[in-house]
Amino acid sequence: MKKQLKVPFWLRKFFLFFSLIGPGIITASADNDAPGIATYSISGARYGYGFLWIILLITVGEVLVQEMAARMGTVTGKGTADLIRERFGVRTSAFAMACLLIANTGTTLAQFAGVAAVGELFGISRYITVPLAGIIIGLVILRGNYKSVEKILLVLCLSAFSYVITVFVIKPDWGIILKDAITPTIKMEANYLIAVLAVIGTTITPWGIFYLQASVADKGTDVTDYKNTRADVVFGSVWGNIISAFIIITTAATLYPKGILVNSAEEAAMALIPLAGSFSSLLFSIGMLGASLLAVSVLPLSTTYAMCEAFGFERGLNRPVKDAPVFYSIFISIMLISMLFVLIPGIPLFQIMLISQSVNAILLPVILILVLILANDKNIMGKWVNTRLSNYLGYALTGIIFLATVALLVGEFLPAT
Amino acid sequence: MIYLSQLIDQKVWDAFGHVVGKIDDIMVNATEKSVPPLSALVLKGAPENKNLIDAQSIASLWPSVTLKTDISKLIPYTPKGHELLLKQRVLDQQIVDTEGKRLVRVNDLQIARKGDQFFLTGVDASFNGLLRRLGLENIGKSIARTFKKEAKTHVIPWEFVASIEHDDPLRLSVSQSRLVQMPPADIAAILDDLDSHTSKALLQGFPNEELADTLEQSSQEVQQAVLSHLHPERAADVLEEMDPDEAADILADMDDQVSERLLTLMEDDDAEEVRTLLGYPETSSGGIMTTEFAWVPYTYNVEQALAYLRSSEDALEDEFMYYVYLLDEQHQLKGVVSLRDLVTAPLDQPLSKWIDDDIAYVYPLTPQEEAAYLVAKYDLMALPVVEPETKRMIGIVTVDDALDTVLPTAWKKKLPRFSGK
Repeated sequence: MKKQLKVPFWLRKFFLFFSLIGPGIITASADNDAPGIATYSISGARYGYGFLWIILLITVGEVLVQEMAARMGTVTGKGTADLIRERFGVRTSAFAMACLLIANTGTTLAQFAGVAAVGELFGISRYITVPLAGIIIGLVILRGNYKSVEKILLVLCLSAFSYVITVFVIKPDWGIILKDAITPTIKMEANYLIAVLAVIGTTITPWGIFYLQASVADKGTDVTDYKNTRADVVFGSVWGNIISAFIIITTAATLYPKGILVNSAEEAAMALIPLAGSFSSLLFSIGMLGASLLAVSVLPLSTTYAMCEAFGFERGLNRPVKDAPVFYSIFISIMLISMLFVLIPGIPLFQIMLISQSVNAILLPVILILVLILANDKNIMGKWVNTRLSNYLGYALTGIIFLATVALLVGEFLPAT
Repeated sequence: MIYLSQLIDQKVWDAFGHVVGKIDDIMVNATEKSVPPLSALVLKGAPENKNLIDAQSIASLWPSVTLKTDISKLIPYTPKGHELLLKQRVLDQQIVDTEGKRLVRVNDLQIARKGDQFFLTGVDASFNGLLRRLGLENIGKSIARTFKKEAKTHVIPWEFVASIEHDDPLRLSVSQSRLVQMPPADIAAILDDLDSHTSKALLQGFPNEELADTLEQSSQEVQQAVLSHLHPERAADVLEEMDPDEAADILADMDDQVSERLLTLMEDDDAEEVRTLLGYPETSSGGIMTTEFAWVPYTYNVEQALAYLRSSEDALEDEFMYYVYLLDEQHQLKGVVSLRDLVTAPLDQPLSKWIDDDIAYVYPLTPQEEAAYLVAKYDLMALPVVEPETKRMIGIVTVDDALDTVLPTAWKKKLPRFSGK
């Protein structure tokens, strides 16, 4: 029987709207996480509005990849890790899972670093903010009712609106923005290439694929309703990238004309104060805090599920700890390790994040190829195999990312002469 | 013990030391339920009709795979349609361990020799099996030794394994017959872990009564998913088998049109009870009460009462019958007696001994917290629910249903995984 919720009508409508939108929007919002915001604000300050058209291209790529994941989840009812294990066996799974674990722990660490940075902007020590955030999120996930957890996640998604407001506070020239956004410009320099790759890397992520497919599979929607799921995924990707564009516009409108280069999101937030007022800076920080918390709520848990799926360990928050020891150990380890690393005095956070991003970058083409093979397997997908167009685009995307990654890694280890 | 992972990619030798090929997969006879015999070796890269070697010609599998015959006199194997490819269809898949009552992944398969034949004996779902597949078994053993523990390989006998592949009707029916033996709550827990397609396919093959029992224990999502995929006639039959309060809970979550359709398909008296329950809000005592309870006419003596209970349908349907209620012709509540007191009393004693004007009861619209309070205050196992105007007794709130209302929802509702449901 239905619970009689005593919430105002408009609020109920609002939640209904979000319950229909579902996994797509949470995935896309969590993609704009702390490293994402850093990448966008750095790129905006360095390259101005000219960088916006890259976001258009990435939107196409993200829709392509996420649609495949959502389709696999709907058709098979299984997670990506399940399918990889069943189709490719233990060795491939073990490799993919090891990479996923390292990359996602690194990314979680980056979120806690984001929380620490926002706290320090307000003069609160990271030794207070990081453990507080970790313990609250950990408890909510482990002890909370999922229905309420999901509502918290959706509210965190809303924090992205702060970037939209920031832009309207700044009042940029929309004519120029539109013109620059649809005019492709390419700079043939290493830093530009790094920026493009970094933006791809924070938007199209291995964990995003795993998370989206698992949540779609979990919803158990029928294949006949796939149209709705696809709409959700497309809407989510477009929405996430609009937010990315707004972050770029924020720094492109303020920092770029003055030639102020920044190296992190918190520097960008500081630099905004004299140019756009402390209110914009405050909004910018709130957006980053929300995104970091959202990603921390989603990342460690989805990683844990993927690992337990692949190796057949008992899993699920509805199980007591003694029945699913591996599940809880992995989850708590990811949380603790990433929190502790941020708190070690004098730890080179930047290098650690660089390593985790490199692992992510190496993992991404591998996962994309596995996904493409799975999505083309008639035994798994039946008549829902990839269209020729998604295959062309998919392999092209994989190829571009692979080549750019190789170029970048070679460049990093062999300093340019 | 021989494991499948140790055989895949092994060279097959004939009786004179010639290489016949490499093993790609192994076929067993899947109709044999407890220990299926191996039927053929599948060779890698050989043409379609020449790649199967009859398992009868195997001389040994370990330490090397050798045949009894010469390469020129190989016995080919013709599939009969009931074979199961172990690597392709079983290895790395999920299965239900009906003994351990959990969902596991097949890390390896154990093969044993008995006399002249080879058999599939069990499924290795242990961490050790995983290490063996990765070629790290020795490292695992030495780590285990340093911790003074033995590396355990737990093999689940094949007869306790239920495969859950929904596109193979033969294996599905074997699995169903094994799963039905498990307690409904355990089946429900496994279904929650399974992907939705498989859980639907599995449940649809269950007999109505077992399906009803399992659904009562399942999460709301599984209930809705399964019932909406059954034929309406069958869904109605399953709902009839369920306790009316459970059936009402499920129907209340459905679309109005769908639930109305199912109610018309249900038998009249079952549908009537459910309709009554559906009329009460969930937060009221009526929303959590059950309409099945044991009662006897208050004018009887103990002997008559016991005889009456034996033939009473209401009593048969009472879930745990802790109390027997004493009612008059208008079904008004006159008294209550515990079954224990009734059974231990002399046969000729009249029931009037237990008539009492001061029995705790609630109305259907009494908030359920109050029902829970009364149950706790008077240490009751069940609380009668009485209609306010006619004073007819229409149901009981049992202690477990009352407790559910005061426990935090997180404890009783199964948490879904991590996406929105």
